[in-house]
Amino acid sequence: MRFSEILNLVKLNLIQNKFKVLLTSIGIIVGAATIVIVIAVGRGGKADVAEQFRNLNAGALDISYEQAQDSGGFSFRGSRPGGSSGESSGRPSFQGGEAAAFSGNIPDFSGKKPESSSGESSRGGGGFFSGFNNMFGGIFGSSDTKNTERITLSDEDMEDITSYVPGLSDATISYTTKQNIYGGNIEETESYTVAGTLSNYADLSNLTMLFGDYLSDADNENKTKVCVLGYSAAKQIFGSAEEAYDSLVYIDDRPYTVGGVLAEQGTVEAGISADDAIFIPYATGIKYLTGSDISPTITVIAADVDNIEAVRENVKTVLAASYPNAEFTISDAGSKMEAANKSNETLTLMLIAMASIVFIIGGIGIMNVLFVSVKERTEEIGILKAIGGSRKDILLEFIMEACFISLIGGIIGVLVSFVINPVLSGFSIRTEMSVSGAVLALAFSIVTGTVFGFYPAWKASKLVPVEALSSE
Amino acid sequence: MAAEQVISMKQVCKSYQMGAEKLNVLKKIDFTVNKGEFTAILGPSGSGKSTLMNIIGCMDTMDSGSYELNSIPIHAAKEKELTKIRNQEIGFIFQNYHLIPTYTVMQNIIMPLLMRGKDRKTAEKECEEVISMLGLAERLRHKPSELSGGQRQRVAIARALCSKPSLLLADEPTGALDQNSGTEVLKLFTKLHEMGNTIVMITHDMNVAKWAQRTVRIVDGEMFEEN
Repeated sequence: MRFSEILNLVKLNLIQNKFKVLLTSIGIIVGAATIVIVIAVGRGGKADVAEQFRNLNAGALDISYEQAQDSGGFSFRGSRPGGSSGESSGRPSFQGGEAAAFSGNIPDFSGKKPESSSGESSRGGGGFFSGFNNMFGGIFGSSDTKNTERITLSDEDMEDITSYVPGLSDATISYTTKQNIYGGNIEETESYTVAGTLSNYADLSNLTMLFGDYLSDADNENKTKVCVLGYSAAKQIFGSAEEAYDSLVYIDDRPYTVGGVLAEQGTVEAGISADDAIFIPYATGIKYLTGSDISPTITVIAADVDNIEAVRENVKTVLAASYPNAEFTISDAGSKMEAANKSNETLTLMLIAMASIVFIIGGIGIMNVLFVSVKERTEEIGILKAIGGSRKDILLEFIMEACFISLIGGIIGVLVSFVINPVLSGFSIRTEMSVSGAVLALAFSIVTGTVFGFYPAWKASKLVPVEALSSE
Repeated sequence: MAAEQVISMKQVCKSYQMGAEKLNVLKKIDFTVNKGEFTAILGPSGSGKSTLMNIIGCMDTMDSGSYELNSIPIHAAKEKELTKIRNQEIGFIFQNYHLIPTYTVMQNIIMPLLMRGKDRKTAEKECEEVISMLGLAERLRHKPSELSGGQRQRVAIARALCSKPSLLLADEPTGALDQNSGTEVLKLFTKLHEMGNTIVMITHDMNVAKWAQRTVRIVDGEMFEEN
């Protein structure tokens, strides 16, 4: 029998059993819709990750310090020792920081958190302190003595790193603080994130300007009260980026000239959310806003992304020379991206597994209905065989029926997914529908129909004509 | 010159296992049908006539003996060959018509030709003459359920005829019809016989068997020639 005639028979049977076809294909409809949505969610997640990390340089390493919580009882909590000789002390030993050993402050045994005198003077030798700690380290265990000091990373630490760690293309230091803002359209003060940065922060973070220029070295050196507004911050404070430019904004009651407005950057997963932040010169912030009470992050850029692990180890070594009892958090953007992508992939895989289960259930549904159909149509099969229908014809007819039922289910499923998609957006789930997702869903549907339709079709083709004819 | 044999059966036996008991349905049947003959196989219910029809129609196998249809050794044929023989050599007419209810009259009629690999248009063209002869031209788009019993049987006859088989095999063709319709069908059979078709008709009804040119009686699996 010609294939086209088999298809005609299939069409005839499907048209005459529309409702049954629809009910049979429900499993496939759900499976196909799930596949399309799963792929759309996966792609949306990937795009989200890419967007959230787009301001991060893959070769960037963020170095920060977190002081351990007071564990009670006997503990050492001391300030990062300061002192007049701070400039020369605290240098890594390979730089000749031998003077550092006795230049630090005496650690505070009371457990009270001592404050550094200032950002500038806080820098000092840690030798005595570290030696003291090392001495007790043997008694109390090294883990107890780590990160008990109060350490404020400074631009000098950054200079140490850039001087002694090879393979760096750039480095910067920044911190954030929450400050009350008013100005523009704001009637009552509002809290905003203010970031103290150096002039190269914009380049390192791939920030682009909409109006004006980013902060300059001179702004930092002169501690100028100038700021750059993130796109959303500018809109919220002044109504628009254009109006914000060259206006005055009050940070902690001091006027700052808006020297520039950033272009919209989008959401970020790591680092400072640039759209909502206000950027000021690093030194200006320390002078007028924070004093030494900051936890800066040093960001270094590895010239070669493949070399990032070596850079990480070298940074640790350099910092260990200055702060022997401190452990710094060093995170790289690449790992964050990888982790985010991995978790996204895991989620996608989980959803695909779920969709596969739906397909299997749908397939079993098709198989059941086809078995019933073969039973119902035993006489018809007998007639076809009696008048010369071959096993191949019968097999093909039933398989094609299963294929078309699942194809119809697949098409409806894809259409359903396009209806569901806006609903998901309503729940803030980002999806990116794709042709490949729809094609894959259709392919899965057809394969499911064929695989699960085969056995009933094979059973039909094996019927003995005389038995099939007398089945009624 | 000897007549050309369409059916040649020798010593055909068929039995079924009924639990522990073996039921011999056909006992060493010798049966021949010449080309152009209209033969009735007459027998009561359970005599083995349907089993014989199934074997003649290549829908069932025999335990022993030989059977040739148009000199084709059916007893040695494989399933694939039997399928082809059913399609090309035999036209079936069943008591219950056995039309496919979801197909139209035309779709039912042309089905054997489609099975043969012909396309729809060619098949429809080849069936035109038969359709016209059986007066079905007005009913081609109808479903079997929309027809009377006599009309349905005419559709079944048309389906059997349009593939131009060497043997028309009718199983109780009037069994489901009223007397008038039955007579109409039997008149049609006579006409087909006169046109040169070879017909084997199975019936339990003596009055129906009378329409045939020759009658053989089957009783308890044994065949006797009627005088």
